[in-house]
Amino acid sequence: MTLLYLFRDAFREMLTGSWRYWAWVAVLLLMIALGVWFYAQQVIQGLVVTHMSNQVSWGFYIANFTYLVGIAAAAVMVTIPAYIFHRKDIKDVVLMGETMAIAAVFMAIMFVVVDVGRPDRLWHLIPGIGIFNFPESMLAWDVVVLNGYLLLNMGISFYIISCHYGGCDPKLRHYFPFVIVGIFLAIGIHTVTAFLYSANTGRPFWSNPLLAPRFIASAFCSGPALMILGLQLIRSISNYPVPQSVIKLLAIVMTVSLQITLFLIGVELFTEFYNEGEHAASARYLYLGLNGFDALTPWIWTALLLIGIATFIGSVHVLRNNVFLLNVACVLTVVGVWIEKGMGMVIPAYVPTPIGEIYEYTPSFPEIAVSLGIWGMGLLLFTLLVKAALPIECGNLRRPGVDAPSPICPVSPEKR
Amino acid sequence: MRTYAMVIDTRTCIGCGDCVVACKSENKVPVGLNRDWVVEATSGRYPNLRTEFRSERCNHCSHATCVLLCPTGASHQWNDSNIVLVDADKCTGCKACIAACPYDARLVMHPEGYIDKCTFCHHRVEKGLDPACVSTCPTHCMHFGLLDDPGSDVSKLLLSRNYKTLMPETGNKPNVFYLV
Repeated sequence: MTLLYLFRDAFREMLTGSWRYWAWVAVLLLMIALGVWFYAQQVIQGLVVTHMSNQVSWGFYIANFTYLVGIAAAAVMVTIPAYIFHRKDIKDVVLMGETMAIAAVFMAIMFVVVDVGRPDRLWHLIPGIGIFNFPESMLAWDVVVLNGYLLLNMGISFYIISCHYGGCDPKLRHYFPFVIVGIFLAIGIHTVTAFLYSANTGRPFWSNPLLAPRFIASAFCSGPALMILGLQLIRSISNYPVPQSVIKLLAIVMTVSLQITLFLIGVELFTEFYNEGEHAASARYLYLGLNGFDALTPWIWTALLLIGIATFIGSVHVLRNNVFLLNVACVLTVVGVWIEKGMGMVIPAYVPTPIGEIYEYTPSFPEIAVSLGIWGMGLLLFTLLVKAALPIECGNLRRPGVDAPSPICPVSPEKR
Repeated sequence: MRTYAMVIDTRTCIGCGDCVVACKSENKVPVGLNRDWVVEATSGRYPNLRTEFRSERCNHCSHATCVLLCPTGASHQWNDSNIVLVDADKCTGCKACIAACPYDARLVMHPEGYIDKCTFCHHRVEKGLDPACVSTCPTHCMHFGLLDDPGSDVSKLLLSRNYKTLMPETGNKPNVFYLV
């Protein structure tokens, strides 16, 4: 019965809001409509509407996929302080981190679905019904861990929300084991995604033991950066009390991860270029251009510049404590890492191809439109979940018959 | 596991491209796609130049990473041999095998919607024939047979001549050998 009430109230909450909320939802719906239209074209005509080819067979979709797996994994940067180090202030925002993980994993899965040439045959990936090449295939592992992580985060968040809604305290011993599994799975999803690439010995740019550590490090830059921006946004429009100490902790996590990321990039540059061998061809294409082909070179240097500036802001105490500059650093990190581990990581492995062809790739308009659509879906999912969860977490919304505690949000939520 | 191998003599290959044509007509490969191709590799410095012709295709590796990485088992090895085939009905087009292949031997975007590749003409091998490219070669520079049989053409050639394989460092254990 509580569940029925919860769903009813949650949907009611999602369908009421200010004009700003509806304008935001309308923009997202527009993005989704654009994406769906172009995806329909892709289903009808096939992958030829993309600029992917025999030579570069993974492109913009898989670049976004990799980035989003990192965002999802970064949710552990709130669960670890909250549940392992018992930081009380972080516990208040742990749900927000998990909601971000849910939206990010959802988008990551969608990006794989649109990348596939024959989505009608995806049912072969369902264990039991299809032939699921597990445990041999890294892609099969990715299916398992991504879906597992999605279900786990949904389960934990739902348990906590429904407890709060029903007026009881969630019992830590009920969900703590799942939190621990979730922490390992978070590292797992990003490691398995890195193995998906580094398993390909024919592509030296990927076949590199540093790939998984680099993935984790850059995930812990962009994830906390997005969280800092999101938490401040929620605080300013809903008055949900997000302590500044949470922002400060996330800023330090982001800064340390940025420093590690820059160090790891430096290590890779040294190894590739000090004694430059044949295997450095992809790195040369990315950083310096190969035989006159250099479509990615301006992008990667922009990314490194953005990451560098963000690291500087984060590393200087005065600058990091300046709210405006911290937000600038967060935006730079989000964009910089998106370039660096998205297109900057996926494409060079295909250029040159193992037999030496150089084929440059830029995403086609349909690819960009479909990607925008998926980002729209993820943002909409995040918006709706947060919209329904906030009044419950604020203490304004309880099951009929349960006394609402004194709300912790000073003003009634007026959300986007 | 039976190991079928192809041995190609780069010293007698004249780079005519008949193997490419034979493959296209035998296997009805769609326009714009090729399952095999001829590489013309030039080395040295003018005037001391050297050209090597190599007819290249899927290497039907003993340790086929494309089969390993395929999430649905669409990529598989035929009939307890090293011949790598794609089951079109199971192929989702995820392209993991293309990333895995060190030889660029897989064709994406077959009009029918699956990843297409060289099959070592297993439909001919079944009948005791050579693959179309081998039987059409005008200079007899291509040889096909069982590596497990010490009396086969390929085994004898590999015992008596110097040879190389492409990208052995990937650990794929390729089964197309080039006599040099």
